[in-house]
Amino acid sequence: MIEVQNLVKKYGEVTAVKGITFSAEPGQVTGFLGPNGAGKTTTMRILTGFMPPTAGTARVAGYDVFDKSLEVRRRVGYLAESVPLYRDMTARDYLMYIGEIRGIKRPRPRADEVLERVGLASRAGSRIRTLSKGMRQRVGLAQALIHNPPVLILDEPTIGLDPLQVLELRQLVSDLGRDHTVLFSTHILSEAEQVCDKVVIINRGEIIAAGNPNDLRASLERGARVLVRADAPAGALRELVAGVKGVQSAEIGMNGVVATPASADRDPRSEIVQAVVQKNWKLTEIRPLAINLEDIFLEVTRRQAQDADAPQSAEAEAGS
Amino acid sequence: MTDTPMNHHEQIDHVVETGVALPFWTVFKREFSAYFRSPVAYGIAFAVLLFLGVLFNGYITYANQSQQTPADSTYAPGLLVFLLFLIAPLLTMRLIAEESREGTLEVLMTLPMHEGQFILGKFLAAWGYFTVLLLLTVVYHLILLTIGVPDLGAAFGSYLGAWLYGGAVIAITMIWSAVTEDQIVAAFLGAATILVLYLAEIAASWVASQGAVGGIADFIRELGLQAHFGVTLSRGILRLEDVLYFVFMIVAALFITTRIVEIRRWRA
Repeated sequence: MIEVQNLVKKYGEVTAVKGITFSAEPGQVTGFLGPNGAGKTTTMRILTGFMPPTAGTARVAGYDVFDKSLEVRRRVGYLAESVPLYRDMTARDYLMYIGEIRGIKRPRPRADEVLERVGLASRAGSRIRTLSKGMRQRVGLAQALIHNPPVLILDEPTIGLDPLQVLELRQLVSDLGRDHTVLFSTHILSEAEQVCDKVVIINRGEIIAAGNPNDLRASLERGARVLVRADAPAGALRELVAGVKGVQSAEIGMNGVVATPASADRDPRSEIVQAVVQKNWKLTEIRPLAINLEDIFLEVTRRQAQDADAPQSAEAEAGS
Repeated sequence: MTDTPMNHHEQIDHVVETGVALPFWTVFKREFSAYFRSPVAYGIAFAVLLFLGVLFNGYITYANQSQQTPADSTYAPGLLVFLLFLIAPLLTMRLIAEESREGTLEVLMTLPMHEGQFILGKFLAAWGYFTVLLLLTVVYHLILLTIGVPDLGAAFGSYLGAWLYGGAVIAITMIWSAVTEDQIVAAFLGAATILVLYLAEIAASWVASQGAVGGIADFIRELGLQAHFGVTLSRGILRLEDVLYFVFMIVAALFITTRIVEIRRWRA
């Protein structure tokens, strides 16, 4: 539904997006993940037809975003990051306005329908300026849903919400993902892991990893550093772990001993378990350090930094 | 976000019927009604009518005493046209600048609507408001009808002229609202542009007095607003070229505004 190929966007001298390629399929929530300034919003603005790419192509619902911009816009619902709304309008009037511009025949009942959907039916007649941040976010989402588009592009929809609101919104996005193509950006990595069927990690305008969050985790667990805790003196445990086959080095960290595997495709956990058990120590915990996307992200960026500037940064990170 | 939980989705995911969209009309309706909800528009109407009323009162008192001045229906539209350098920027300054600053432009520009539709809707709303203002001044014509015999041709010409003139001036000042997000800057630049175009005649005579080639002075004069209103339409002389001049100014200004919005969006 969304196919992006070698997409480049330059703002004058600055290249915000450096030739990215990814896709998003129907019936899935695709997480677009990265720190602030990574190029997420720029990419989304290109996908919504708001601005053209400098190079490369992007197709949404089968139409090129540049050549067939209006066709794309008909099929995309977009929630912009800052949730821009007309504060002097009521929620219903605003949705009717957008609906009418979109050519919806009966905008009023449709506006009420989507307000119901996002749980704002009781505030339909309230001016937007009197609504809370969370409610405004929902008005913005209702706006994106008004024409029941096959593709939804949501730019950081959970930003600035309280924890309960965040949970509700994530639930809604998951629901929508069942019969829409949803591209959902966030810089909160655990969020992407909860909501998304697939994640695309972007940093400084480049995709650094993409795939199913579980697969990503599995591939990163191989070669990831391992945390070991046991009922034993820290120094002795470190020495033992460091001596295990497949372990390159071991340091004493905050919660236990951190072992760095000898190579990137090596998981030394079973060897470590064996060694500890042979010593008759009680093993209390052993797990890869990368257990959520947050860690995956750190690992991937750490590896990138390692590739870029020699071994130093790896030393600095060790034992954290 | 605690009033009601978000509902399950089956109920809304049906095909939403769409028909022929007329985005410019939707934008027009919203913007036009916005003028009548805003204190600024009432303030402008009040100030204009008060100003015109006081001057008109002085005018007919004088006309009455002198027994010689004819009842002139072009008086009110002529004054209104002069005041446009103040009125038009106030009417247009927020039209695009505000949407751009608030980010609502981003949403509109991801709807299936061409920029031109959006600009046209905004323009028609401001022009519509001006039309209402102009129609309110018809009251002066009616007063003149009761006390004298005004020249109906001149009245028609000056009202038509003032209406077209207003359209051109509004379209031109709207350009500045697209250029800057700062409404005050947009208003100042708009007022300055209109003053320059209003005073083009003076500039033309100065250029002519400097001994420049005749064509240049004429060109400057013809470019100005007054050359197409002050000596022709406002006296009831209906020339196609004057009407075309105003229509051309409107179309050109709307085109420029559309391009600016487009370029700014591409660079956003």
